[in-house]
Amino acid sequence: MSAVPSEMARRRAGLRARLTPWLLMAPALLIAVAFFGLPIAFMARMSFNEHIDQRFYVPGFTFESYAAMLTDQTFRGALLTTMRLAFVSSIVTVVVGYAFAMLVWLKPKRWRLAFIALALCPLLISEISIIFGWWMFFPKNGLLSYALVSSGLITDKVSLMYTEFAAFVGLTYVTLPFCFFILLSIFDGIDKKVLEASADLGAGPLRTFREVLLPLTKGGIAAAFAQSFIWAVGTYATPSALGPDTLWTIGYLIQEQMLGKHNWPRAAAFSIVLTIGVALVMVIVRTLTSKRTALNG
Amino acid sequence: MADTSSILPARRASAIPVPRARKDAIVLRVLTLAFTVFIIAYIAIPVLVTLAMSFNDASAIRFPIKVWSLKWYGDFFGSPQWVDALESSIIIALGTTAISTISGVLAAWAFERFTFAFKPLVYLLIMLPLFIPGVVLGLGVAMAFGNVSLLGFNVYGSRALVMLAHSLWAMPLVFMLMEATFRTVDHRIVEASYDLGGKPLRTFFEIVLPSVSTGIISSALFAFVVSLNEFVMALFLTTRDTQTLPVLMWLSLRSAGTPRLAVASVILAAAVFVSLSLIMVWYIRQLRKT
Amino acid sequence: MADMNALELDSVRRAYGGVVAVDNVSIDVKRGEFVTLLGPSGSGKTSTLRLIGGFERPDAGAIRINGVRIDHLPAYQRDTTTIFQSGALFPHKTVAENVAYGLRMRGITKADITPRVKQALEIVRLSGYDERYPAQLSGGQKQRVALARSMVVRPAILLFDEPLSALDLSLRLQLRAEIKRLHEEIGFSAIYVTHDQGEAMAMSSRVAVMRGGRIEQIDRPEKVFGEPANEFVYTFIGESCCLKAWIAAGAAADSDGDPIDLRLSNPLGEGAWRIYIRPSRMHLGRADMPNGLKARLDFTEFLGDVHRYHFKAAKLELFVDHPGAVAHKPGDLVDIGWQTADMIAYQ
Repeated sequence: MSAVPSEMARRRAGLRARLTPWLLMAPALLIAVAFFGLPIAFMARMSFNEHIDQRFYVPGFTFESYAAMLTDQTFRGALLTTMRLAFVSSIVTVVVGYAFAMLVWLKPKRWRLAFIALALCPLLISEISIIFGWWMFFPKNGLLSYALVSSGLITDKVSLMYTEFAAFVGLTYVTLPFCFFILLSIFDGIDKKVLEASADLGAGPLRTFREVLLPLTKGGIAAAFAQSFIWAVGTYATPSALGPDTLWTIGYLIQEQMLGKHNWPRAAAFSIVLTIGVALVMVIVRTLTSKRTALNG
Repeated sequence: MADTSSILPARRASAIPVPRARKDAIVLRVLTLAFTVFIIAYIAIPVLVTLAMSFNDASAIRFPIKVWSLKWYGDFFGSPQWVDALESSIIIALGTTAISTISGVLAAWAFERFTFAFKPLVYLLIMLPLFIPGVVLGLGVAMAFGNVSLLGFNVYGSRALVMLAHSLWAMPLVFMLMEATFRTVDHRIVEASYDLGGKPLRTFFEIVLPSVSTGIISSALFAFVVSLNEFVMALFLTTRDTQTLPVLMWLSLRSAGTPRLAVASVILAAAVFVSLSLIMVWYIRQLRKT
Repeated sequence: MADMNALELDSVRRAYGGVVAVDNVSIDVKRGEFVTLLGPSGSGKTSTLRLIGGFERPDAGAIRINGVRIDHLPAYQRDTTTIFQSGALFPHKTVAENVAYGLRMRGITKADITPRVKQALEIVRLSGYDERYPAQLSGGQKQRVALARSMVVRPAILLFDEPLSALDLSLRLQLRAEIKRLHEEIGFSAIYVTHDQGEAMAMSSRVAVMRGGRIEQIDRPEKVFGEPANEFVYTFIGESCCLKAWIAAGAAADSDGDPIDLRLSNPLGEGAWRIYIRPSRMHLGRADMPNGLKARLDFTEFLGDVHRYHFKAAKLELFVDHPGAVAHKPGDLVDIGWQTADMIAYQ
C-alpha cells in the first residue's frame, strides 16, 4: 500500500546533492576565475604582443619580451638582486622569528598575550606605514642619528637611509610576523618536557637545541622560509623606498615597465616569469616538507 | 629539573660539571634578556617614531621634536584630498570584507561538508592568488579590465574593481581560516538539527553559523585589514577619484615626506585597532554568555 | 494492519564498501513498544538506527513509519527524533531554545511552543533550567534536555543511540529508571540501541540481539535470557562458563584426552561439546544434583555480593558464584552440581 519512491524523486535528490557544493563555491570560483585566472591568461597573451614606439602594445606574436630577459642587463641584474634580497632577508627573518617564537614558547604563560600582541603589530600595520616609520629613523635628521649623536657615541650625524641594510631591516619587519606565527604553532605542538628530559640525560643547552629542538621544528622552518621568500620575491615597495637607487627588484621593474615605460608586453612577461617562480618555490617546499613531516596538511 | 634528578639514585653527578652548568645558565639568561630587548625595540621603533612625529609642530621631518602640537591632524582633516582617500579606503575595505567573507565562508562550507570532483584543483585555484605578488595581480587585473565598461559604467578605476582585486588576497584568507573553523564544528549537532526537522539551509544559518561566529568575525577582520592596508594593487587600479589612503601616502612619500604622512599612518592604524577592539568586546561578551 | 506498527523495517540492507553493516534486517515496532537493539560493537545496531533516522540510505529494503514508506526521505523530513550518545545539544542555544528547536522547525506558532517546552522540561524534571546554556549543565542534565528536545515534537518513534553510555554508573541507573517511567506514563514508541544488556533487559518490551549486521533473536527479555535462540545469544546475554569437553563412549575428557569426572542426566552424543552453565546456577558441595562435576578449587575472588570460586578440572576452567564464604580451600576436590534446565550444550 505504501508508494515506492519514484525514480524521478530519487534522481532529483541526487542531482541536488551534487549541485549544492558548486552553488556554494560559485562566488569564490567566480572571483578566482574572473579576477585571477582571466587576468593571468590575459597577461600570458599580452606577453607575446609587440611593443613599438611609445604605444602600450601592438597585437602580434613575438617572443621578443622573453628573449629580452636573457640579453637585457637590467633584467638580469634585477633578477639577481631580487633573489639575493629575498634569500638573505628570509634567512634573517627565519632566524629572528625562530628566536622570537622560542622565547614566547619558553616564557611563562602570562607574557604570552603581550608578546603575541607585539608580533601582531607589523601584521596589522600597513606596509606603507612601516616604510615611512623606518624612513624617519634612518636618515641624517632621523631618530637613529639623533640618538647616537646625543648619547655621545658619534660626533657627526650619520645616515643609513638608502642602504641595503635599511632595505633588509624593512623587509624583515614586514615578513617577521608570518614566520613568527608559523613557528610558534610548531613550538606549541612540542611538549616542553623534552627539554627537561634532554637536560636530565646530561645534554647542555646547545646540545639540546641541536639534537632535540632543531629536528622537531625542521618542517616549520622550511614553511616559514618559503612564506617569507615568496613575500620578499614579489615585493617592491620596501626595497625601492628604503634601499639604494641601484636596488632594482623584479617587482620594481614590472611597475617601471607598466607605469613608466608603458611597455605592456614586457611588464606582462616579467609578471608571468615571477608567477612561475613563486609557484615553483611552493611546489619545491611542499614536496620537501611533505616527505618528512605532515606539517602543511 | 632538579626534582626529577634527585629521585634518580644512580645519576652521574659528573655529567655536567656544576660550574659549567651555572655558567651556561647565566649566559642563557643574558642572551634571552638581550634578545627580548632587541625584539621589543625592533618592533616598537617605527610605531613610536610615527606616533611621535604625528604630534610634531614643524613642517620638516627632523629629530629632536621641539614643539608638540595637533597641527598636522588639523591639516589632515582639513584636506579634502586626504579625507576623500580615507573615505575611499574604508569603503573599499568594507566592500572587500563583505565580498570575501561571504564567498570564502560558503566555499569553506562546501569543502568541509561535501565531496565533489576536482576538489584539489578547486582548492588550488582558490588559494593560489594569496601567494601571488600584488604587483602581478594588480597589473593583470588592470590589463584585463583596463578598458572594459559595463552599461556605460567604466569598470577600470571603480572602487568595485579594487574590492574584487583585494578579495583575491582576502577571500583565500577567509577560506583558509573558515575551513579550519568548520572542521571544529561537532557534526553531531548538525545531524541533531536535521533530525529535529531543520532543512539544510536553515541548519546552516541557525546551527552552523552561530557556532563558528568567532571564526567568521576574525576572518572578516583579517579581510578588512588586508584591504585597508593594501596599496600595490590599488596603485594600479585606482584613479585620482578613487585613490586609497595608502596609495596617496605612497605617492606623497615619493615626492616629499611631511608629518602629514605620520598622521595618515596613525589614522590608518587607528582604524585597524578600533575594529580590533570592537571585536574583542564582542568576543568577551560572547564568552560571558556561555 | 500496517498502521498497527509505528515502524517497520523490511529486509533492510546497507554496505560500506565491501563491509555489510546491516544485513537483511526486518523489525516491526508496534505503537507504544520499546524495542532494544543489543549487540557488541560492530554488530550493526547503530547503523540500523542511522538508517531509520535518515542519516544513511539503505541499499535495499524498505522502511515504513506508520505504514508510509520513508527510506528515500532525508532526516529532516522524517517523523523520528534521536537522542544522541553525546546529547548533541546546540551549545549556543539555551535549554528552552534547544527544546523549542524541533517545534519551530515544524512551523508551530510561538504561542503553542512555550507551554509545550515548559511541559517537556517538567516531564524531565528540569523546570527552572530554561535560561541555562548546555555548558552550565551536568552530563545527566544534558541527556534529560536531549530527551525533552526529542520527545516534545511527539515523533512517531523515538530513537535512542546509546544515550547513557557516557555517564557514570549511578547516573546511568537513575536515568534508565526515568526513561522507563516516561515510557510507561507516555507510551511512546522507541528503538533503543545499547551494548549494555542490563539496560536492555530492564527497559525493553522486546530485545533484538544483533551480530554481524543480522538479528540473531528478537523476543521479550525473559525469553531472550531464558530461551536463547543460539549459542551467540546465550553467551552474549549474561555470564556463563564454558566446558569444552570431548565425549567418547559415555566418558568425558578435555582436549588433551585427560578424563574429567562429569555426570550428566541427559547423556550427550560422541564428539566435541561446548557445555554452558550460568555461574550463579551452580552449587558447591552438592553431589546429589542431576548433573555434576568434580573439580579442584584454584583460587577465590571476592566480588562484593558473592564470592567467585575458580575451579580446574584437568584442562577445563570454570567459576561458580556463591553467596558467602565456604569451607573449601585451594587444592580441595569439590563436587559441583546443577539442574538440567540451567545448562545448554552445543556441538
